[in-house]
Amino acid sequence: MKSGDSTTINVQDGATPKGKGPVPEAPLPSPGGWKKGAAIFDFVLRLGAMVSALAAAAAMGTSDQTLPFFTQFFQFQASYDDLPTFQFFVVAMAIVAGYLVLSLPFSIVCIVRPHSVGPRLLLLVLDTVALTLATAAGAAAAAIVYLAHNGNPNTNWLAICQQFGDFCQKVSGAVVASFVSVVALVTLVVVSAIALRRG
Amino acid sequence: MEAGDISKGKPGFGANKGVSVLDFVLRIVAFVCTLGSAIAMGTTNETLPFFTQFIRFRARFNDLPTFTFFVVANSVASAYFILSLPLSIFHIVKSGAQNSRIVMVILDTVVLALVTAGASASAAIVYLAHKGNTRTNWFSICQQFNSFCERISGSLIGSFGAVVVLIILILLSAVALSRRP
Repeated sequence: MKSGDSTTINVQDGATPKGKGPVPEAPLPSPGGWKKGAAIFDFVLRLGAMVSALAAAAAMGTSDQTLPFFTQFFQFQASYDDLPTFQFFVVAMAIVAGYLVLSLPFSIVCIVRPHSVGPRLLLLVLDTVALTLATAAGAAAAAIVYLAHNGNPNTNWLAICQQFGDFCQKVSGAVVASFVSVVALVTLVVVSAIALRRG
Repeated sequence: MEAGDISKGKPGFGANKGVSVLDFVLRIVAFVCTLGSAIAMGTTNETLPFFTQFIRFRARFNDLPTFTFFVVANSVASAYFILSLPLSIFHIVKSGAQNSRIVMVILDTVVLALVTAGASASAAIVYLAHKGNTRTNWFSICQQFNSFCERISGSLIGSFGAVVVLIILILLSAVALSRRP
């Protein structure tokens, strides 16, 4: 190459180059856009799970029934604290509802900072523990409710729902509400796992 | 790119390999736990040498529908653990995988809910079998069926152990997903 044909590069000192050469890049939308949507969905679902867990605890806790008559063989009063499983249910669902209330600020932090890993990971782990507790309470109460509805001829356990209709209804409704919160918690864990991706 | 780079894997995912190996080992532990529980509950059969007018003289797990659900849930869980071992091995080899880890988290959560439901429903019935309930006139059956009661109580241990292992597995997958090298 001849030295005389060397290309010269004009450097204008102090002057900003005009943007006529290369096409100016438009600012890319932050790839965390969908993560923010996932965090908002997480917050809304958390509210729903909290309402459901609270409703389950309240319905079971207020399930007293006193029959207007009495017979020789059966109790004429039924309350949730007659069965230790139901006591466990009320306590466990109250704990799950309390945890969901306290986790709302962390969820808001995840909305504000969609790329942060720490709060999301913490929420995922605690949601898993809450899911286990809620499922345990709901399933144990469901086993007892099934027994109360159907009895068991093999063990001579008689169904008590024929006498205590209102009590059975309230208790069954509480179990259904706890399973709704279980489904919500499963979805919360899945959403947190998906939002933990590297984008 | 040298051939040596492929075997090293991506930089920064070395700790993920350790997490994946631990995940594989825990999966085998959970398989043994759930299989043991299902077998222990499924092979319950106690026949009393005498009989009375009011109480049956034979106790099996399918006398109570809750125990049938327990056996089914634990069998499904142990089959899941065996079938998820290849996916776990894939995560050891390819430590940076994301989508397959998310699939594993989803499946682990569903199986966690299933196993917890089976174990806690059976725990409620086992508690009732031990203590009975005077308010509802449900009598405890453990005084007659001693070895049946011991069997069903012992089979709960494996199932609850599998629940703890599943929580740790979900935690491990989440930690591996969240690494930003």
